[in-house]
Amino acid sequence: MGWLSFAFAYLAMLTFCLAMARHHKALFGRAPTAGHSRWLRVTGAAALAVALVLGIATPGIEIGVVVWLCQLMIAGLLLVLLLAWRQRWALPLALLLPVGALLQLLV
Amino acid sequence: MSLRQSMAGLHTWGGLLPSWLLYVIIFAGSLACFDKELERWMRPALHVPVASSMTADEVRDWLRRNVSDELHAFWTHAPTEREPYWRLGWEVDGSMEIHDVAFDPAGREPMPGSVGGRFFFDLHYNLHAGMPGVYIVGLAGMFMLVALVSGVIIHRRIFKDFFTLRPQTNGQRAWLDAHNLFGVLGLPFHLVLAYTGVAIFVATYMPAGIQVAYGSDIEKFFGEVMGAYIREGIHQPSSQQVSLDGLIERSRQRWDGAEVGWVSVHHPGDVAAVVDVRQRDESRIAPPQATLSYDEASGELLGEQQVSAGYQTYSWLTGLHMAQFGGTLVRVLYFLLGLAGCAMLVGGLKVWLAKREERSGRALALVRALNGAVLGGLPLASLALLWGNRLLPASLPERAEAEGWVFVASWLVLAIWAVLRRHQPRALYREQLALGALLALGLPLLNWLTTRDGHLLASLARGDWALAGIDLTLLLAGLLCALFAWRTAQPMTQAARQPRGRRQLVEEGV
Repeated sequence: MGWLSFAFAYLAMLTFCLAMARHHKALFGRAPTAGHSRWLRVTGAAALAVALVLGIATPGIEIGVVVWLCQLMIAGLLLVLLLAWRQRWALPLALLLPVGALLQLLV
Repeated sequence: MSLRQSMAGLHTWGGLLPSWLLYVIIFAGSLACFDKELERWMRPALHVPVASSMTADEVRDWLRRNVSDELHAFWTHAPTEREPYWRLGWEVDGSMEIHDVAFDPAGREPMPGSVGGRFFFDLHYNLHAGMPGVYIVGLAGMFMLVALVSGVIIHRRIFKDFFTLRPQTNGQRAWLDAHNLFGVLGLPFHLVLAYTGVAIFVATYMPAGIQVAYGSDIEKFFGEVMGAYIREGIHQPSSQQVSLDGLIERSRQRWDGAEVGWVSVHHPGDVAAVVDVRQRDESRIAPPQATLSYDEASGELLGEQQVSAGYQTYSWLTGLHMAQFGGTLVRVLYFLLGLAGCAMLVGGLKVWLAKREERSGRALALVRALNGAVLGGLPLASLALLWGNRLLPASLPERAEAEGWVFVASWLVLAIWAVLRRHQPRALYREQLALGALLALGLPLLNWLTTRDGHLLASLARGDWALAGIDLTLLLAGLLCALFAWRTAQPMTQAARQPRGRRQLVEEGV
């Protein structure tokens, strides 16, 4: 479950980031509309919740919350480092992470 | 002066002065997340996981045969998955001296000495300086809390710049971004770890209340809050002792099969000797406080520990800091976030320097020298320690001390080198990176040459990720060092050589 909750933590950070005009411009060349921005924020909040649910599923709520918070921080740092040096990887990674996590579940 | 301005001054100077000390503490703490894995790496006898056939009684017998002093207490821990060997420690009566041995799982004798992974743990909480070190670390922890809170107050764009890192801008801007990024995104971790870290030694740092109520008897205080059973020794040797293994088995039955952790005996061999059997459980943040106390002479159950709610809270806080819960996942996360803390400190120091680049002076040279000596010196000395661990002969007497000296001596040399090179920080940086690449990439190779079962091919073949992880991390660190050394050695581009534009930014304040 570690990877999947991290995938959602990353997705949450990415959508929160894209809801900001500066970062949306950097990735898509234009600022998001107000509605678009709100939609991204709602998605982000939902991804946060999913990451939390997945995070506490195995180790229980006590340890799960700690893991969830740590994963959010790491996901945020990873995203910003990518935006600074490997901008093109930031979006595909949001898809790759859950795929990798699902593969891990299957194996 | 506004609040923000006064906090900016506090943050700049209150952050700068302890930052090298904090770097040592945080770096060592990050490595200490994997202290037990490092311990295995550093002790070739533990490379192949063998189930030890020793029993707790045999450990006690070894102690009786080899230590003739009257003991205040001894304590022992059975092999676990992460630490597959018997551990034993004892304190001679009337002295504060603590001795430790670790038994070879394949035999019944102690392994050749090594500082082991514990070296980094001790460096993290007392700098190997005993009680004074604990106070120094505590002071640094308080400074860190002050710097974190004042940092939040002076940061005007904490949400607007949440995801901002602009490495291509001028030096000061880029480093400030990095400092803010690692500080803000890692803030929950830094705050919680600094707070819980200071809280662990709260009774030591704020002893006034205990001294009023308990005099100098701090052991009595802890005994009461922990609800422990305490009985003084009466210096009358007892003719018989019950089996420790029997007591462990009885305790497990009483706990419905729960694991047993530390087993300690106070005043062993005395008529009044007490055996404490403590439960072990890594599925909760707070280590379990369930402890059963038995009479060593008769085996009679004397007491079952009743922990106060206050102590339960305290042990939850210490548990949150020590990361013995949640398995490898939590340790990896703590390790990475610890390194993020180091990056925050490096960023902060670079901002301080970049802001004063055009001026020259003693302070600037001093900060540069300290940066080279500590930021570069500590990781390199840690690598040197691992080299010493593999190269010192196993038969060397006082081998653990010798390893410690390797660390100290190499750090001293690195520090002198950094002081001499303080006016060419870029060249020093490149050379340190090159040395780091050499040391880190050489270690897996050295490991392969000097051990039979500990090297990467063997550990990967048997799926021993705990051991392989260390070699793989060293390889990764070495490759990164090599990459950065190579990039630093490239002639600077036209853009980078031009004098950097200076632009006063709102949040730069002071």
